Amino acid sequence: MAKPGASRNTPTAKKSAIAKMAPATGSKGGKNNAGASIQNMGFRDQVSSYAAHHQLVAVETLMRLWANPMSSVLTWLVIAIALTLPGALWISLDNLSQLSGRFQASGSITVYLVPGTAIKDGQTTQKTIAGLSHVVYTRFIDADTALEEFRTTSGLKDALDLLPSNPLPPVIVVEPQLGTPQAQVLALGKSIERLPFVDVVELDTAWLERLLALLALSERIIWVMGALLALAIVLVVGNTIRLSIAARVDEIRVVKLVGGTNAWVRRPFLYTGLWFGMVGGLMAWVLLAICWLLVSGPVEDLAQLYGSTFSLAPLSASAALFLLFSAMFLGWLGAWWSVHRHLDQIEP
Amino acid sequence: MTMVRFERVSKRYGAGKDALSNINFELARGEFAFLTGHSGAGKSTLLKLMMLMERPTRGKIIVDDQDLTTMRPGQVPYHRRKVGVVFQNHQLLFDRTVFENVALPLQIAGYTPAEAARRVRAALDSVGLLGMEGRNPIELSGGEQQRVGIARAVVNKPALLLADEPTGNLDPELSEEIMNLFLRFQQVGVTVLIATHDIALIERMGHRRLILDHGELHCSERQSRKSDSSDLLGDDHG
Repeated sequence: MAKPGASRNTPTAKKSAIAKMAPATGSKGGKNNAGASIQNMGFRDQVSSYAAHHQLVAVETLMRLWANPMSSVLTWLVIAIALTLPGALWISLDNLSQLSGRFQASGSITVYLVPGTAIKDGQTTQKTIAGLSHVVYTRFIDADTALEEFRTTSGLKDALDLLPSNPLPPVIVVEPQLGTPQAQVLALGKSIERLPFVDVVELDTAWLERLLALLALSERIIWVMGALLALAIVLVVGNTIRLSIAARVDEIRVVKLVGGTNAWVRRPFLYTGLWFGMVGGLMAWVLLAICWLLVSGPVEDLAQLYGSTFSLAPLSASAALFLLFSAMFLGWLGAWWSVHRHLDQIEP
Repeated sequence: MTMVRFERVSKRYGAGKDALSNINFELARGEFAFLTGHSGAGKSTLLKLMMLMERPTRGKIIVDDQDLTTMRPGQVPYHRRKVGVVFQNHQLLFDRTVFENVALPLQIAGYTPAEAARRVRAALDSVGLLGMEGRNPIELSGGEQQRVGIARAVVNKPALLLADEPTGNLDPELSEEIMNLFLRFQQVGVTVLIATHDIALIERMGHRRLILDHGELHCSERQSRKSDSSDLLGDDHG
């Protein structure tokens, strides 16, 4: 270590200790890397130290949240609630569309003939309908049979006996081929409507169509609401991170002063945002589970009243993971946005 | 063998008067110099320019063969790692130990914890604070805090050490102790520039002086640092 001055014998106790602190490459040569630190490290060391810092920051920020949960519990709750709302709606929608899927199979057409149509004419019409495309099954119910059926199933036997004449028209039940596109079922109904003796054609799929349209609308509403609530999460996390940046201004200044890059300074805040999202997402799972427990019992009771074995399905695993990862992404995004706005302004 | 070169450097804040105007000087590698002048003369601004905490309005600054005036923002952190700085208010973080304060630059530079620990102890040893690693800086005296600040500044083994009023809050005895510490770093090859208005101390220590007056630089005529060093060391330790 032939440094200028080092050769001079100075009688000081700290001499040897100080000598260790000589600039890394000394003063000869005047090369560009005097005092270099990172430049002396190999590429692999740099990569591993980069990974090590990520790991360190990830653990440190998580521990910080864990050590002081009260300071951030409000943010977590806001995130959790903001996620629970669209999550719960999504569960309902998912269940409804599964329910509507079951009904899709029973999309039959009821053809009411003009009251007083003769049985013979009715049977002719039935044959005509059976010859139309997409029709797999037809059944003719004459007025008397219809009344008899009604009498046994409705429980209005006594009232019906009081009627002077049969008020029911003859009916033809038409079942289109399973999986026939909606538009063709509608076209089929139109062509039946034009046949003689036909009074009214009722598509049982009409209500299903309305339900499907309603479901599509609800889905759209959920997405819009989800987007707004996602924005709220970003803003809430952003604001929380802004406060924690403000609380650590001194530290950030010092770090920048001793050569911390912006990425290095940003890192803990981005991880904090990520953890906010994660904890919020996990809490949303818990909230959704509670909601499900509260609602699924009454839903089953209701279904039973309709003679159905339908039960409310909980959030699927893939949807639950999607919820968690989007929460983490939103937390990270909020932190990134806040850091981007505030951190670069802090200069030593 | 130049460590620092200022070529016709001016710095103006806003539309006001020049904080620094037409500054020209050089510091050789391993040189020890004082930067002095009345308060508001531009001492801090000059140091900030070398740290790229400020950019000059005009002129060229070369530090360690690198032109700071053309340095991209992304390179600034890497430049700062090569320069140690000590402040009057030492800028220590009170939410962590002495060890963690000193280790910060190494952590940033990506040293392994083991290597960092070794270097931190070496740095603390060099300022005579070995054994205080676990303490919180707030428990230490002003002089000790300043030495922690110096340890942090030199832990990266910088080739250039800058100090802005490092003895501003200390009594004369402690001030001299701190100055001697800087001197010892110069002896192992570190280039040292200390901004101070402690005229008495400067007079006693000798060395080259850069005098700022209303943003203009008047270089001291005493430039032969070899004789300076030996004089002072003879006085203090002989």
